[in-house]
Amino acid sequence: MALFSQTSQQGFQALLWKCRMFWPVSRCHQLFAVSVSIPDREKVSYFSFVTSSSTAFPVDPKGTDAFPTKKRSEIDYEEEKRWDEETKEIPEGKLHFSSSVGAPKKRLTSQVVSRHKFTYVQPPEKPLRAEEWNRLRESFQSPEIFEEVMFNNMVRYNSPIDVAKSLLTHVAKSNGDIAYNLLLKYLALCVQQGQTSEIRDVYDIMKIRFRILESGAYNLLIKGLSNSDEWRMALTLLEEVKKIMIPSRINYESCIRAASRHQEMNLAFELYHEMLAKDLVPTLDILQAFFDFSRGMKGAELQKELFGILLYLRENQIYPHKTFMRSIKLWFESIPGGNWRGHLTNIKDSGQCPVCNHQLEDSDLTEEEYNNLRERIIRDVIHGTDTFRKTSPQEFEAFQTFVENRLPFDIVIDGLNVSHMKPRRLQCENLFDAVNCLAKDNARLLVLGRKHMLINSSNWKREIMKEMQNKADFFFAENISEDDAFLLYATLRSGQHCKFVTRDFLRDHKACLSDSVTRHLFRKWQRGHQIVFSPSAEGKHINFMPAFSYDCVVQTTGDTWHIPYKDLFEEKYSYRVPRKWLCIQQQR
Amino acid sequence: MQSANVLLKKIIRNSVLPFAAQHGMKKDLFPLSRTLSLSLCLKQDNSASPSEKLDLDAWKKVMKSGLQEEGSETVSEQKELSTLAAAREILEMWRLAGRSVPENITEEQLKTFMECPSKSAKKKYLKYLHLKELYKKNDKRKMDEKRERRLETQKQASETDETKRNSFMYLWANTMDKAYSWRVAQSMIFGQPLIFDMSYEKDMSVREVANTVRQIVLSEGCNRRSVDPFHVHFCNLKDDSLYHKEFIKHYREAWGKLLITVTDQCYTDIFPKDKLIYLTADSPKVMKTFDHDKIYIVGSMVDKSIKTGVSLARAKRLGLETAALPLEKYLLWNSGAKNLTLDQMMHILLTLKDTGDWKKALEFVPKRKYCGFVSRPVHELKKTLNLINTLKLGKRQEEARRQFAKSYSKKLTQK
Repeated sequence: MALFSQTSQQGFQALLWKCRMFWPVSRCHQLFAVSVSIPDREKVSYFSFVTSSSTAFPVDPKGTDAFPTKKRSEIDYEEEKRWDEETKEIPEGKLHFSSSVGAPKKRLTSQVVSRHKFTYVQPPEKPLRAEEWNRLRESFQSPEIFEEVMFNNMVRYNSPIDVAKSLLTHVAKSNGDIAYNLLLKYLALCVQQGQTSEIRDVYDIMKIRFRILESGAYNLLIKGLSNSDEWRMALTLLEEVKKIMIPSRINYESCIRAASRHQEMNLAFELYHEMLAKDLVPTLDILQAFFDFSRGMKGAELQKELFGILLYLRENQIYPHKTFMRSIKLWFESIPGGNWRGHLTNIKDSGQCPVCNHQLEDSDLTEEEYNNLRERIIRDVIHGTDTFRKTSPQEFEAFQTFVENRLPFDIVIDGLNVSHMKPRRLQCENLFDAVNCLAKDNARLLVLGRKHMLINSSNWKREIMKEMQNKADFFFAENISEDDAFLLYATLRSGQHCKFVTRDFLRDHKACLSDSVTRHLFRKWQRGHQIVFSPSAEGKHINFMPAFSYDCVVQTTGDTWHIPYKDLFEEKYSYRVPRKWLCIQQQR
Repeated sequence: MQSANVLLKKIIRNSVLPFAAQHGMKKDLFPLSRTLSLSLCLKQDNSASPSEKLDLDAWKKVMKSGLQEEGSETVSEQKELSTLAAAREILEMWRLAGRSVPENITEEQLKTFMECPSKSAKKKYLKYLHLKELYKKNDKRKMDEKRERRLETQKQASETDETKRNSFMYLWANTMDKAYSWRVAQSMIFGQPLIFDMSYEKDMSVREVANTVRQIVLSEGCNRRSVDPFHVHFCNLKDDSLYHKEFIKHYREAWGKLLITVTDQCYTDIFPKDKLIYLTADSPKVMKTFDHDKIYIVGSMVDKSIKTGVSLARAKRLGLETAALPLEKYLLWNSGAKNLTLDQMMHILLTLKDTGDWKKALEFVPKRKYCGFVSRPVHELKKTLNLINTLKLGKRQEEARRQFAKSYSKKLTQK
């Protein structure tokens, strides 16, 4: 249900967005004033929604009651998602916070259900007295885990906190003590309902009762407190966590959100840099929070930091999603005196931005990067731990001399991959078509294959092979060697202009590269140099999609920014790059 | 009301003040909100019927009261914890929170835990220890039960004391051992060699080496008990290697008395190259029959992470012939990797050696990995499959099955 409401809201939002494009600039300030007054617990990502909607409708003075029901359900949904994330590590059946609204499907598929059907017990609606709890407990199938199961279900059904309290009282009175895991679950319930004073109390009790706390409790506490007025306490808790382990990125997220929500941007950025220094990867929500809460704020330092985040996206080839993109856009447009304007657009194949006519950068690597990548491909992909795994030293040497003698090539073709393009045709015919199609402008072709292609067989006709060998250079590897590695080598050796043809995504080769910097280089190079057989041309002709003439990353020229983004529900394939862009330019 | 006051005082003393002092927070906010909530609570109590008096915060009182003194002690101690002790405490807390963490952990294990490079590695290691502990406990429980049962039967037997007579002689275990040893000794002179290649230590983690050695011990055992054993060679086994240490851990003093050949030489130095066949699942060649004149090599390697082509690379480097088991040809493969454990390999090779019957030999492939044997020609199989499907399932599935059978037969013809 929650999911549905979100999608519908997306569409609604998109509609509003269109209207928003034509609003006069002066409204921005008014909008901002509206968004500030939203209570702390609201999620940041929906600010954009509130701001845009409240202008389309008569502006509500409080700004908070615009869509109370919808917002609430969305928050639930978001939070529950987090719940699952955070408690994944805790073994099933023990502490499984499933959600109350958004996850009926998950409930069905989860193994817990199939194994212990009895775990589904509707918790009582009102606080019970000791005798009543006792009665319930006795009627329960396995009384020893009754409290645990009951608490799990309270979290699941979001029971009133008084019910949980009455059960705790019962446990405390009958046992004289409450086990840590029960306290933890009670804490989870409090956090779920935002009961700040209760969270504090539980923390105090835990502190008295136990020497140290473990990460699960800290996660809950930080999360719970960061959403309340006592968010500074979450920061001190974060310090406590640091003493015993590296905090998770979700911990940082809570704190950073809390800090930036209270306009303490310096503190937030301090935390952000701290987590980067610890090699934690910030969630997109953190980055988005910075843009959301810096809206309309002045300061060169702040601006520099936010540009730094955009450059972080560029460096790591991260594409923001739609709501994040909107936050970025709104922030740019809200910079006082900045005169930035943002437009959504699709970039043409030529790489020219239709809005500002700016030519996007290509994905050519610098000389140094290029050489570096080539060395690493030879070292990690071709040789790896053992040269014999992919080829043999003799064969590689033979290939090297072969390539050196015929340099440079324009297009390198993975013969076997291309020969499987159309399953109905003979493999050699496929290859023949491809070679003919690519050999147009006197391009120098290199086709890589394996020796078995030379043996006259039903799939590989000798005459056709002969004819092809007149048009292109061929290299045949051993039947058990990997030709992809050769493909990469030959292309890289020929220089930046050289492209290669294969439908392979080369993910396994990318995985051979040992560090992320080189992997990013590889991906960048692959985007600009791989020619793919286009699937739409299933008919008579073979068509190839040319390699991208521009590079799909966040990029800037100082007075323009181009930011690729993806839709929220787009499937995320690592090889697929977004086609939609946000163009931001500064008007002089 | 008085109790409420006491509670209030306690709360203020215990909790709020230290924090307020620490962070310089709004001091007045706390007590205020507390009284508010308390009075709310009291009001509720009054409004409810007298029989339904429920003090919802009573648990807090219980939790705070009995443990106060203890608590203050521990707080002062907290600073002087060594890292190891701190780790131990965290583990204890995790255990209390219900995660899979072992109850007892040795100093050595704790160190290994601390040295794990990432959070997930730590988690995995803890889970491993936890499961190990559970198994151990279970075994112990079963042993105890067994002993009890045995004692009981003994008691019963002693009550009905009656000497049994048996005309057969018992073949005691050591007699059997002698017979087995005799056979293996013979095979060491006349038997067909089988080589375990112990050169993969650098490709494996410590746990993988331990698993490998366990599998080899199992396969050595089943070789010893077979009718016509192999002459087992451990080649490339260095004296101070991990393999060696693990072997000694398993065999103890029996290691020196094993009827196998252990050498640090390579098999190519001992045997003529043209007789050697390296068995590897990556091999492009499929084994058709078991050749009694060849010497088969099995790579002693367990790869939990996927490392394809390591043993094939080795064979290539040495220029040896390779072969893979004809799993595709005889089994309708279901799921799982085609590399088998070393003891399964040993079983299969022994059966092949004795009977030459692939069907019998491939019984040792784990059942979960295949759907069934391909006994008849494929087109016949296809027919029955279709028949079964039309009887059992709807038409759609039939289509899917047909597709599957088609692609399957295609695969076969390619081979």
